[in-house]
Amino acid sequence: MTDPKPARTDAELGRTLADFSVPSEPGNERMAMETVAEAVKNLGISGENLERLKTGVAEATMNAMEHGNNYKPDVPVELQVLVTDHDLLVRITDRGSGPPPSDNADAPDILAKLEGMQTPRGWGLFLIKSMVDEMNISGDEGHHTEELVVHLQAEGGK
Amino acid sequence: MDVRHLNVEVRTEDGIAVLDLVGEINGFAEEALNAAYAEAEARDPETILLNFERVDYINSTGIALIVGLLAKARAARRSLLACNLSEHYVEIFNITRLSDFMSVFPDEQTAVVEASGS
Repeated sequence: MTDPKPARTDAELGRTLADFSVPSEPGNERMAMETVAEAVKNLGISGENLERLKTGVAEATMNAMEHGNNYKPDVPVELQVLVTDHDLLVRITDRGSGPPPSDNADAPDILAKLEGMQTPRGWGLFLIKSMVDEMNISGDEGHHTEELVVHLQAEGGK
Repeated sequence: MDVRHLNVEVRTEDGIAVLDLVGEINGFAEEALNAAYAEAEARDPETILLNFERVDYINSTGIALIVGLLAKARAARRSLLACNLSEHYVEIFNITRLSDFMSVFPDEQTAVVEASGS
């Protein structure tokens, strides 16, 4: 993991609390979520709301490592943690090509999974959407970005 | 940050097979979890209890592994229960609807009493 860069100020985006990357290796999502948790420690997000944010970051990082970067260790996932007057934004960017993944994250059908009609997997996007106030997905020819938004007034919101 | 690979110990309490889970439930946990479940099943209990007391991380792949165990339990007409989940993971079990299909108890004693009495 690269060291988090010092905080800087951006007039449009607010303050950058952290800007770092992790290699695309299974398990590194925990490094990402703990680094984000450390970066937001002065924002008053705590308890269950912090746990929700950590799970959202971990799942989005896993998506980026697996689906965007195909778990190639030399291809990093980049994370930016930004704060505005109203929101916390965590942007997680991979090197995926092609159209960005759909942000349609309807609740998976657990009964279909239990009866073997669907794979047991497929919980990631649903978990992310359930954990934060907004999730936005964007992309260009060489990158996909999942942006997680937490409204600070609601302190974790959901 | 090192991954804490899952270790599982299997024991029997009042006829209930208890799986003591220690570590993280993620993609690395599949072999240990399935081996421990098979060991529990070999004792032919009516109920298998997953004890999450020493689990500090479950990701979506781990949720899928638990769904897989639950599918096996339902196919064999066994009850699969959970205890000692943190508040956060109780919420995850609720929103994924895992808790609709496996009862979640605050501690092992409550789970064993409930399962023994049912």
